[in-house]
Amino acid sequence: MLKKLFILILLTASVGAFGQGKFIAKNAYISFYSSTPMEDILGESNEAVTILDSSNGEIVFQALMSTFHFKRALMEEHFNENYMESTKFPKAKFKGTIEGFKKEMLTAPVAIIKITGVLNVHGVDKTITVPGTIGLQDGKLVATSKYKVTPEDFGIVIPSLVRDKVGKEMEITVKSTYLPYGQ
Amino acid sequence: MKIKYAVILVLVVIVVGAGIGLKMFFKPHADVNKLDAEFKLEAGKLLDEFQKEENASTTKYSEKVLEINGKLVAKNKLPNGTNLLILEDEMAGISCQLDSSWSAANQAVIQALVTGNPVTVKGVCKGYLMEIKVSPAVVVTK
Repeated sequence: MLKKLFILILLTASVGAFGQGKFIAKNAYISFYSSTPMEDILGESNEAVTILDSSNGEIVFQALMSTFHFKRALMEEHFNENYMESTKFPKAKFKGTIEGFKKEMLTAPVAIIKITGVLNVHGVDKTITVPGTIGLQDGKLVATSKYKVTPEDFGIVIPSLVRDKVGKEMEITVKSTYLPYGQ
Repeated sequence: MKIKYAVILVLVVIVVGAGIGLKMFFKPHADVNKLDAEFKLEAGKLLDEFQKEENASTTKYSEKVLEINGKLVAKNKLPNGTNLLILEDEMAGISCQLDSSWSAANQAVIQALVTGNPVTVKGVCKGYLMEIKVSPAVVVTK
């Protein structure tokens, strides 16, 4: 009973700490989805790491390509070996800033935001501006984003033979639940 | 007569080819529980290697089956239901996502795990991102 009370106090204290320092999510969700009449392809990872700096609204997001999981083992193999070349480029990275960032955004209910930054996939940098949301949901700081990318923009070559099996654009979905991290 | 055999031969080749193709297409994911570990090591030693030389360690261990023995520091569940075990250090340790079908069949094993106690896991190493990522993984019981 005393232990539960102690945990409750700790939890309340950590909610109170929102709006200071850095926030981290070690098991952020990222997926990419491509749909064509031939085949739907969905790759998901629960192992992305992201850090949000509440002093300036900077978000850093990293994912290991090899952690993307697909329905078929063959898709996973093609994704890593043929397209992403995961041994050569093991990580995808994004570093960006929330436009018009204010600290209050982290303690307010979920609201729509825009994030601009550099996305690095397959060793290629590209500046993107993407829509997203950030705010408190069930007492936790949650950020989401959904946007489209074109594989060719990142130097990913899809052979013409299978080009029509893979969508022209991939829809990327990101969801992170942040916890306070250090100070 | 010869033509008939040639036609049959061509048909057999097509059927076998299609069969192999379909088998490749529907190939299931490897069952980590049945794979033999290529490396057996202590969690602390593995962390040490990755922290000192991330690139060399990634090349050495990535996509390999590892059997790791270490201290369980956290047992969590992700929003999608995946069981997550963390060894050695909650922030910068070894994060193991348990295989979903193995977890479903071994609920009792997972429930019996106590944080602070040693645990042995076997799983596919995915590399290093603040912590060592291992997935899918299973708990090794002896």
